[in-house]
Amino acid sequence: MLPDATFDINTTALNAVTTPVETLRSIEAFIFEEAKLLDQRKFWQWDKLFTDTGMYWAPQKHDQDNPFDHISLFWEDRMLRAVRIRRVENARNWSQQPQTQTAHLVGNIAVEGTDDHGNVVVSAVFQVTEWRLKQRQLAGRYTYKLAAQENGGWKIQLKKVQLVNCDDVFENLEVFV
Amino acid sequence: MIPTNEHIAALIREDSVHKSVYTDPVLFKLEMERIYGHAWIYVGHESQVKHAGDYHTTRLGEQDVVMVRAADGTVNVLYNRCPHKGAKLVADGDGNVGKFFRCPYHAWTFKLDGQHLSAPLKSGFEGTCYDPKHADFSMVSVARVDSYRGFVFASQAAYGEDLKSFLGGVITSIDNLCDRSPVGEVEVAGGIFRVQQRSNWKVFYENLHDTMHARITHESSVDAARGEAEAIGEMPFELLIMDGNGEPYDFWEKLELRAYNNGHGYMEAIFDPAAADRDIVSREHFECLSKAYGEERSREILGMNRHNTVIYGSGSPHTVFMQFRVIRPLAVDRTMVEIQTFRCKGAPSSVFDRALTYANVINSPSSNVMPDDVEVYARCQEGNMTRGGEWISMHRYAGQDITLEDGAISTNGTSELPMRNQFAAWKRYMTTTLIAKESTHAA
Repeated sequence: MLPDATFDINTTALNAVTTPVETLRSIEAFIFEEAKLLDQRKFWQWDKLFTDTGMYWAPQKHDQDNPFDHISLFWEDRMLRAVRIRRVENARNWSQQPQTQTAHLVGNIAVEGTDDHGNVVVSAVFQVTEWRLKQRQLAGRYTYKLAAQENGGWKIQLKKVQLVNCDDVFENLEVFV
Repeated sequence: MIPTNEHIAALIREDSVHKSVYTDPVLFKLEMERIYGHAWIYVGHESQVKHAGDYHTTRLGEQDVVMVRAADGTVNVLYNRCPHKGAKLVADGDGNVGKFFRCPYHAWTFKLDGQHLSAPLKSGFEGTCYDPKHADFSMVSVARVDSYRGFVFASQAAYGEDLKSFLGGVITSIDNLCDRSPVGEVEVAGGIFRVQQRSNWKVFYENLHDTMHARITHESSVDAARGEAEAIGEMPFELLIMDGNGEPYDFWEKLELRAYNNGHGYMEAIFDPAAADRDIVSREHFECLSKAYGEERSREILGMNRHNTVIYGSGSPHTVFMQFRVIRPLAVDRTMVEIQTFRCKGAPSSVFDRALTYANVINSPSSNVMPDDVEVYARCQEGNMTRGGEWISMHRYAGQDITLEDGAISTNGTSELPMRNQFAAWKRYMTTTLIAKESTHAA
């Protein structure tokens, strides 16, 4: 892959939209379901929520412009997400004994607008309680780019995870936030 | 009670070490004085403080220091302490102080070399021994500061060998890192990851050249990378760099391990980056270097294919993928690693893309490879706290390495030579008689 700078990561210069209540409800339901799949460690099902080109991104610095000229805590396409899932499910994953357990709490969901490809940009605040040998709290803001599907559902073109402590000293981050 | 030199020497045998070197807080405290208080330790790269007033904070052992660029271009390394009440003058991190340091507590100010500049309401000092020219009223510089090709090192001891002698043959890794640029220069770019390990600092150094752990500890990420490569029908760079750990024993046996005095060394590379499917980076890089150096020299530079280098006390440069994992001991059972990535000035942007990708995939806190290392280090730390035995084995190929004038070379790539070499340096630092500092009180 090497950084593919053609990927559109813009989530700020957006077209204004008015969102019908039922659309907002369906977006909320989609995001709550996504969080539930992570908590249940149904990672393969979770990965299916992404479009074929969809990216999972956690910037390493506050207000980071892009993942192309700066390190990221996560910058993963389907291949790299699959590698992570394969590893945490491997029987000889010494650092997942015991497994990481999580509880996601997602709120303040708001539609911000649409990008030039028609994706709906949605922001939310999250709190994740993570446990492996000891408890840790992760928190921050999610920004999604959601692609409307013909069947009425959604797929993720981008999930951006801005941790409040993105540039902190970290112990391992083994599972998706 | 401080152990005697005889006691410390007895902890290190030719082929094994006593576990207390990883677990005893008293020994850790002594390491901070006798190793980190004397050896040349990497502070940072000059590119982190490009302009006058730019600073970068870090730690030399237990000491908070600040690297700062002065107006004349000199890079100084000072203890981050105001001589008035002791406040840290700058917050941890990077920034610019302007023309001078100014303490946030009582506005004492200091030049960029630490010299006292001023204090408010000077009349209050009349009749006292306050003397702006006396060292007691200035920031304290680290005893010796030197840099090699932009890499700034400091030694807290005013005496001892110079930086080049200290580095010895391992200097070739710094050279190779820089030579990969057509103008011979690199710069820190793209941010710095910081990762915490719940283990003693030395276990990480030992692991860097431990070829026997790779396919065992990393089985989960090797399996994952190979499984995915099979699923997608190719082995791109991101998977190749995880796959390498899975080589069979006879592969590792053939690698060369080189040890230098002072605990330094390097191991030969595991994989050739040009082996990645659709690799364009190696070719672009070679073409660019050829224009600057000619084909023969470029082949020599890019052909120096080393995996981890160890600069003992500082960390581990990776010359091919332009990283420096800087290892900072925090406590006897806690270590922080700062992962720097370098941009090769004048080289194609794809070379930096590859370095960033390597940092993200291999060295970041979210790496799929490192967690299993970090887990086994923590298990060593915890296991060594039990009563289940006293000694740690490093017997593999002991007595069979070839001794050279400036170190040694393995006869088998699975030799535990690097560990024996590191502990030989450790023993020397820890048992050498030290010269006490003379008092410099103003009065």
